[in-house]
Amino acid sequence: MKILNLLFAFLTFVFSISFAFAFGITPAEIIGKYSPGESNDYSFEVVNSENIDSDYVILVTGELNESVSSDSVSFSMLQGEPSKKINLKFKSPSKLKPGRHFADINVLQIPSKLSSNSGTVVNSLIGLTLRFNVDVAYPGKYAEGTLNVADNAGIFNFIIPVSSKGDLNIGRAKALIDIYTPLNEKVISLSTNELSIISGSVAELTTSWDTKDAVPGRYRAVAAVLYDEETFTVEKEFSVGNTILGLKHVEVNDFSLGGIAKFEFLVESTWSEQIPGAYIQMQVFNDAGETMADFNADTYDVASFENKHLVSFCDTEVVKPGTYDATAFVRFGQQSLQHDFKLEVSDNDITVVGIGYVIKERSGKSGTTSSLTIVLITAVGILVLLNLVWFLLLRKKLKTKN
Amino acid sequence: MVHHKHILLIDSILIVGTLLLIAGAVGYARPLVIAPLEDYVTSENSVLFVFDKADVILIDDNLAFSSPQEVYVQNEIVLTLQPGVYYWKVVGALESDVRQLTIESSIDLKIRESQDGTVSVVNSGSVPLEVSVYNQGVLSDRIVVDTDSEGTTVKGEKYFGRENENP
Repeated sequence: MKILNLLFAFLTFVFSISFAFAFGITPAEIIGKYSPGESNDYSFEVVNSENIDSDYVILVTGELNESVSSDSVSFSMLQGEPSKKINLKFKSPSKLKPGRHFADINVLQIPSKLSSNSGTVVNSLIGLTLRFNVDVAYPGKYAEGTLNVADNAGIFNFIIPVSSKGDLNIGRAKALIDIYTPLNEKVISLSTNELSIISGSVAELTTSWDTKDAVPGRYRAVAAVLYDEETFTVEKEFSVGNTILGLKHVEVNDFSLGGIAKFEFLVESTWSEQIPGAYIQMQVFNDAGETMADFNADTYDVASFENKHLVSFCDTEVVKPGTYDATAFVRFGQQSLQHDFKLEVSDNDITVVGIGYVIKERSGKSGTTSSLTIVLITAVGILVLLNLVWFLLLRKKLKTKN
Repeated sequence: MVHHKHILLIDSILIVGTLLLIAGAVGYARPLVIAPLEDYVTSENSVLFVFDKADVILIDDNLAFSSPQEVYVQNEIVLTLQPGVYYWKVVGALESDVRQLTIESSIDLKIRESQDGTVSVVNSGSVPLEVSVYNQGVLSDRIVVDTDSEGTTVKGEKYFGRENENP
């Protein structure tokens, strides 16, 4: 019956689509080289992703439209032709202001062929735009960058890819990063590595912060990037601590089978700010893994570092005594934390057994690598020993005998 | 009676033998990198990494590997990467050579129209797509369709897509 339903749904979906058409372009962006007065060649591919006969037209617009030209302004692709390569020529203008300049390569799919093939009248037209960018270097030394923050098991890595966009190389670049609380109190100051950056290239300034002693919550990192005599500032907000609302305990009091069960969930906030609109969704499953009950607790605002009881009710009219798998989701903001446990249901009692989490451990070195390392070290050790014995003992002995 | 000549011969055998054995051991322990090939360029976001005698893949967008992504795995894995140029190597008892890998961005716009006249826009490319919708020659809507989106319902006559530059 289930299979029939699925088949019916699938056929309904197939017949409900009167047509579908599409095409693609790769890459989505080309970065051209600016060399005044010279021409450079580039290419991109138009992908026949729907595998149909179709005609295409190419139109170049944007401020560099007179400098960028394609080897064809219109072309066709037949069914079975996966893609078509289009060549572009960029003749760099003799003068361009520093900064980014662009041309748009617009590719339009002409729907006439589609209409005649499918037999349906298609009024739609689709087009895709490939952006052709050209970066012109700033005079002297000039750098731009962004601040990225990555959490690696409580150690926060601060990465600033610094792009040297001036026509002179940068001799020394480094960054000083200050970390602030939401109340603008400075927590720590960090210093990155120091690098030289060649004109037109990108280099990363990095540093890290071990947050094991930090209070969970939101922080703001402000990085002052110093390069030679210049400076620029970038900043980013980030959060320390993942599980900010943990489920500590679940209990059901004054229960009688067939009645309404009152579930009380004790949640603990480990967050330094109030968490608004937190609630719990609970699901109970039967032996076949099907959902028997699915209910939500009311929403609550949980103050910082507060332990709070969230209450939810469940009708047990169709529930029989036994052990059931259950899952509680603690939901707040965009986050959802899952807790799996079992419910032992008797006539006058529901016992909650085992609130646990599955923690995936990062694997260490494998057996293969360890054994290889051992083999290598042993082999080198034996060879060193052999050489020492020969050159320091045996060789001398033999020479003395002679 | 061992002559001076014999001692020198044993010296040579020992030195050459040691060097050969060390070279052999290093060669044996060096990770064998099979795929992807050096300077591999693709527009697919999923890339198969195949190697032997290593258990960590290090991937970074710079040759200095200043902020590498570490993937603990043995022999092979399919990784999903965003468009860009990457440098990668595997590490076991020794490190492999560094290889370059390029994931080219692609934009792919798909329009589906059902019999009830509903039109949905699907992004089949590798980057978020900004789609301008026109009705009777006038821009009526501008939507952003993510790569993992199942489709966005729109009403228009002309649809123009480009990479969304303001994520």
